[in-house]
Amino acid sequence: MKLSDHYNKASVITTISVLLTGGVIYFFAITYISRLQLDRDLTEEVNEVKEYIKGNHNLPTQVEFDEDVTTFIKTDQPVFNRRYFDTVFVNPKEKKQEEGRAVEDMVALNGQHYKVIITVSREGTEYLIQIIALITLALVIGLLVMLFLINRYVLRGLWKPFYNTLNELKAFNISEPSNFNLQNNQVDEFADLNQAVQVMSERIKHDFQHLKHLTENASHEMMTPLAVITTKLDTLIQDESLNPAHYDLINDIYVASGKLLRLNQTMLLLVKIENNLIEGNEVLRLDNLIREKLVQFQELINTKSIIVSEKLVEKEIFASRYLIDILLNNLFSNAIRHNTPNGHQYITLTPGQLIIQNTGIPNALHAETIFDRFQKGSQSEGTGLGLTIVKNICNLYNWKVRYYFDQSLHTFEIVF
Amino acid sequence: MCKLVCCRIDSCLNLKQLKFLIIEDEAGLRQNIADYLNGDGNICECCASLKCAITKLTDYLYDCVLLDIGLPDGEGFAVLDFLRNGLRNESVLIISAKGSLDDKIKALNIGADDYLTKPFHLAELKARVEAVYRRKTFSSNNPVIFNEISVDLHGRSVEVNGHSLTLTRKEYDMLLYFIANKGKVISKNAIAEHLWGDEMDIHDHYDFIYTHIKNLRKKLMDANCNDYIKSLYGIGYKFTA
Repeated sequence: MKLSDHYNKASVITTISVLLTGGVIYFFAITYISRLQLDRDLTEEVNEVKEYIKGNHNLPTQVEFDEDVTTFIKTDQPVFNRRYFDTVFVNPKEKKQEEGRAVEDMVALNGQHYKVIITVSREGTEYLIQIIALITLALVIGLLVMLFLINRYVLRGLWKPFYNTLNELKAFNISEPSNFNLQNNQVDEFADLNQAVQVMSERIKHDFQHLKHLTENASHEMMTPLAVITTKLDTLIQDESLNPAHYDLINDIYVASGKLLRLNQTMLLLVKIENNLIEGNEVLRLDNLIREKLVQFQELINTKSIIVSEKLVEKEIFASRYLIDILLNNLFSNAIRHNTPNGHQYITLTPGQLIIQNTGIPNALHAETIFDRFQKGSQSEGTGLGLTIVKNICNLYNWKVRYYFDQSLHTFEIVF
Repeated sequence: MCKLVCCRIDSCLNLKQLKFLIIEDEAGLRQNIADYLNGDGNICECCASLKCAITKLTDYLYDCVLLDIGLPDGEGFAVLDFLRNGLRNESVLIISAKGSLDDKIKALNIGADDYLTKPFHLAELKARVEAVYRRKTFSSNNPVIFNEISVDLHGRSVEVNGHSLTLTRKEYDMLLYFIANKGKVISKNAIAEHLWGDEMDIHDHYDFIYTHIKNLRKKLMDANCNDYIKSLYGIGYKFTA
């Protein structure tokens, strides 16, 4: 739920409840006040009746224009407490029943006790309450509409810079040199936010650059000691006094230093790909490159008696020849090295995708981690970076690469 | 009788003794390169800095300069500029830890003849140095001769005792590599790297080396050539008369 929706919800609930409570209080307050008023009027009426009787010594008659209805009932009750009560008022002119209020009291005339009941219509107050209820309702509706409009147009506008910043953050790429395109903002909070984001991103980028340079420099610096090891070994094996045991040791050192070298080269390559430092993109015919690569790998393929089936359509890509060569090298050498003797390799190139499948161990590999750094099988003699490179090259060109295990075939699929 | 004649041709036409200048700040590397190249009776002089290199190049002429780019007192490119401005004929082989394409192109554009990325095998260095020197002095018109074996570099053809031999590309490359490093033990790694480059993982290729060498040896022996290729306890091979 969006922030404005949360805000909407809160404000709607508050408004409705406040106004409803207000309405109820109004209702009771007005009812109470109007009753007091009516009772006061009725008391006045009773007093007037008593005055009249005292002065005229007879009962007053109902006057045409009086809005109240007065009745006298003879009674033998000696004492009677004045009481007010709600009753039905029958309008004598319209012969219509209405809500009414009445007072009951005792008057004495010529030794005879009379019970006097004066009834007035309550319609006026009822009408007032109705009007007030209507106004309250109109206020509720009006306020809701206003809130809705404010949320829709004002709040959205107010939050716009926030969403701008958010979108910039979403598009943030640590290895891209371009900075945030944050708009100046008059709202202090957003200006603060933008500034904080700016500072943070610059620091992150700085640290990242630093780390990359460290990797690159370390890898370069390692090349010279490696060169020393290699040339010393090359010199050492010229010694004719060495015996086979020595040669075994030297061979192991050769293998280890070779591995170190490949690791180092691969790390340098990764840094370059991640920094987009590989230049020289050109239009390449991928199908031809695949055929050339198959010729290159022919020896390996023959040794394992792997049956290669290819289905290639003409496909042009715009990429670096160097990187595509590495990409195909890694995919092909994996498909061959992890294949079973007399196994199969299928290469399918369509205008939309490249699929390389091979037979191998009968279980699926971890599709989630297979492209991670230093993920390799226990028998693999590779650096564990081959598929990471594949992934990074694909990322560089915005291709999707994924692994899946389908019909006992390990499948790598690149979608262009 | 034949062998005697061949040997005489060999000494006439083969590369003369060369004078090298090795500009490299890593002492261990510098000495090993010098020792390896000296083996053929070549003369090597060494420098550890740009300043020393310029001084030596001002005073003497060399056949070939081995140049490291990352020197303590500046970039080796200055040496290339110096040689080019002086219209000098030294062939230059760059040996650098930086293997990026840009660096290679830059070096080749300003006058280097070849570019070798560290680390490298000494056998590879030797083969490259000879190739560069031949190309520079146009001596690639002459065949490379080792006793009864004669390699025509232009036609990429091999003759043994005057009879031509049909070799695959890898066998031909290997033979040239062996001749360039005659009398030296060459490790399997060095051969694999030379034949397949460093893009492909080398451990896949040890078996192929054996197969290629077996085939090459058989072809040479079938042409009545002496068996010069000696295997050394699984570490490598030695091509020696």
